[in-house]
Amino acid sequence: MSRIYLTKDDKIEKYENHLVKLTLAPDKGEAAGEIEGLEPRRLFPVSNPDSYITLLDREGRERAVIRSYADLDAASAALVKQSLEDYYLVPKILRIISKAEKYGTLRWTVETDRGIVSFDIRNRNHDIHVMRSGFVRVRDANDNRYVIEDCNKLDRHSYALLIADT
Amino acid sequence: METTTKMLLKNKELPERAAALAESLAENGDAALFAIVGDMGLDGKYSKTALLFTAKKAVLYDEDLSEVREYLYEDMKEVRAKRMYGNATLSAKMKNGKREIFFRYTYGVAPLCDAAALFISHLNEGRSFREEYAIVSVAYERALSVCPKCGRPLLHPGAECIMCRSKKKVVKQLSKYVLPHTKTLIFCIFLSLFTTFMALIPPAITGFIVDAVFSEGTSTVPILGKIAAAFAGEPKKVLTAMILLLLSTYILQYGVGIIRAYLMRTVGNKTVAALRNDIYRKAQYLPMKFYDKTSTGSVINRISGDSATLQNFMLRITQEAVVHLFQLVGIVVIMISLNPSLTLLSLLPIPFVVFATRVFSKKMRPLYRRIWRRWTKVSSVMADTIPCIKVVKSFTGEERSTAVFEEKNRDWLNMELHLGKIVTAFPQIISFCVTCGSLIIWGVGGGKVIDGVGGYSAGLIVAFISYASMFYNPVTFFANLSDSFQSALASTEKILDILEAEPEPELPNSVTPDHFNGRIEFNHVSFSFDRIKKVLDDVTFTVEPGEVVGIVGTTGSGKSTLVNLLMRFYDGYSGEILVDGHNIKNFSLSPYRSQIGYVQQEPQMFSDTIFNNIAYSVPGATAEEVMAAADTANAHGFICRQPDGYDTVLGERGVGVSGGEKQRLSIARAVLMRPSILIFDEATAAVDSETEHLIQDAIDKLIEGKTTLMIAHRLSTLRRANRILVVDNGHIIENGTPEELMALKGKYYKLVQIQSMAAESERMRKEERF
Repeated sequence: MSRIYLTKDDKIEKYENHLVKLTLAPDKGEAAGEIEGLEPRRLFPVSNPDSYITLLDREGRERAVIRSYADLDAASAALVKQSLEDYYLVPKILRIISKAEKYGTLRWTVETDRGIVSFDIRNRNHDIHVMRSGFVRVRDANDNRYVIEDCNKLDRHSYALLIADT
Repeated sequence: METTTKMLLKNKELPERAAALAESLAENGDAALFAIVGDMGLDGKYSKTALLFTAKKAVLYDEDLSEVREYLYEDMKEVRAKRMYGNATLSAKMKNGKREIFFRYTYGVAPLCDAAALFISHLNEGRSFREEYAIVSVAYERALSVCPKCGRPLLHPGAECIMCRSKKKVVKQLSKYVLPHTKTLIFCIFLSLFTTFMALIPPAITGFIVDAVFSEGTSTVPILGKIAAAFAGEPKKVLTAMILLLLSTYILQYGVGIIRAYLMRTVGNKTVAALRNDIYRKAQYLPMKFYDKTSTGSVINRISGDSATLQNFMLRITQEAVVHLFQLVGIVVIMISLNPSLTLLSLLPIPFVVFATRVFSKKMRPLYRRIWRRWTKVSSVMADTIPCIKVVKSFTGEERSTAVFEEKNRDWLNMELHLGKIVTAFPQIISFCVTCGSLIIWGVGGGKVIDGVGGYSAGLIVAFISYASMFYNPVTFFANLSDSFQSALASTEKILDILEAEPEPELPNSVTPDHFNGRIEFNHVSFSFDRIKKVLDDVTFTVEPGEVVGIVGTTGSGKSTLVNLLMRFYDGYSGEILVDGHNIKNFSLSPYRSQIGYVQQEPQMFSDTIFNNIAYSVPGATAEEVMAAADTANAHGFICRQPDGYDTVLGERGVGVSGGEKQRLSIARAVLMRPSILIFDEATAAVDSETEHLIQDAIDKLIEGKTTLMIAHRLSTLRRANRILVVDNGHIIENGTPEELMALKGKYYKLVQIQSMAAESERMRKEERF
């Protein structure tokens, strides 16, 4: 069984909520036809979110993989993007408003693109990842994810609060 | 004839009479081919012995025996070398049908005697004389490549023994880390000299203030004398000038001090980083043998702690030694120029200080080593028990392991407390003696000032006291030098233990393989971890390219050792292992290993992403390559279902990856490498049967056309094997297709019987239940 990579001939349509319907073109051989209720999922949600999107059926089996949006027609690509937007909720932190520390647990109050929120960070070594490029991944005590797209572009106050814990 | 005795292989010079014996054998036309010079008589007492082997017979010489004994090969059956405990024997069934011991020896010559036993049995079997002789000469070559000084085996004949290298080379090795910073260091010494010089000025000025400002005296120092003359009659102005002078001296002294301290710190950190890098790198390349002997805790300790101690010593201490020496000389010169007799008086306690320091350092050295060993034990306990916490908990060993830890920690504490008494008391006692020196100056010098003796003034005494106290600064430094020197020495030993340890052997002009067809040959391979019990004993077998060979046997039979030797984790075996007809020792190590996919029983994962864990075997692998490998290993499915997919970090917050899933990741890792040879070491031993099925399926996809060795406990794992080796007690006792072995009704047959019976009863039980 080799993996099916989608091409422009294949169609992706909306099914329900974030699930999609896939129509595989005849050139896919035996697999050709319609599959309903597929869930697009990122194979590399952190390191490469826009490539290698797998389509899983209800049993969690992989039915096809999208190499990149460029392999799809515009409508299909937009639909997949939308579905992933719904599935992966990763607020972008715009500003760190305040920071408090109690028994080694950090409590951040931040302004994100989705509003203001407070959360706990249990382990600053593991849960705050600063990439070389300035990209920061944050994970809270409940396993929710947040990102800072470029910590160098934060205001001075936020930057100082962030850098003290890295 | 002369030449034949010279050709004789021997491990040592023959005793005189044995040499004569060899001569006479040669003259009789049955020259001795090789001789084993032994050290023990048949009665177990030390004695000079020699066993000479000709083409037909063995001749025993023993200095304690009057006669020479001869044993004809044709009379000897079942020649055996048997290792006992601390000694070993050669024995054979003689003509009378009784087993007779004909040579007794200690382990030093055991490998030669093993070869000799094989030699006789093979000749009796009618094998080619020439070939057998060649095998014996290889054994001699190996036996002779030991360091003549310490007797440790050498890497290859003629190599330099690492333990016996001169200590100068040790210094050279360490200086490698300091040399890149030579310029900065010299500059630092310069700065230090400057600050020291600055420090020497103030006492002269204070002395002057006492004499020339507060009373109407003048100064012995020419410049100060001129200043006094210029401002004669205006003491306040002189005082102001002196205070300004002092201020500028202090500014210079401490300002330069800041620069120097900063430079030293930078150099120090750079050095310790370089040293740490090297130790870590070296630790990566150390053979498994090293890790069998050394606990990981102590290796980690060396990388983190000892390198810092050493760096501190190499830079800070040595620099300060130079500075203090300069200070010492400077002060003595100034003091003598001020007043020679007072100088002598204040130097009175010096001999005592020097003597005490020497006694002290002798006492300290072993103490520091003991402290280090105690501390290693403490960290070893941590490194052992924390990763095994599950075992500790499941056997309710929390209290026990705490007790062990507390005990080790207490040992460390006691040692430190013991050392603390000496270490803290010693400098204080020295300082006390030194301070008493100043009392002498007050007493004698002060008395002379009161008496109005020429050349003595209040200012002189003040300056002298300051100099004397400054003088003892370097003296106490040198007294304490032994202290830091000792701990540095202890650390150096530990670090050199790693830096100088023999890395995994890489012979010169080794071959870099790019692909193997996969023919594996073991020729008379014997191996022993401790020289006492042979784990493998004269193992010979051949695996043809593309064969799938199952290796079965009870635990401890030597199955895993076969694989360890093939992976070149251990090199100290006798005989040879060939891959595609080349001795594996001649291959360059890492390209060789990267041709072999090795899947262990306990898959080991790094705390990194799944992607990086798979791509560990091929750095820089693309996403699709890794995904394809994961497909083959039946791992892609469960990776997809992880929220973070391939970016899932293993080992973080107990990310849910089961043992079987880890095993599939480790198979994916092996797949990605596209190895020519595959080794599975009980790959399915630790998983349930459904996962086993998945793994088995992955293995089946993988082994297509590749030479595969599968060590297995469960025979069901071996259904794809077209040949089975049964290993027992270090020997290969059965070798053939599964059908052949079943027909043989030997060990394999028994194992199959037992396991199918077990499976049967399992099935029946299940049927009953439903």
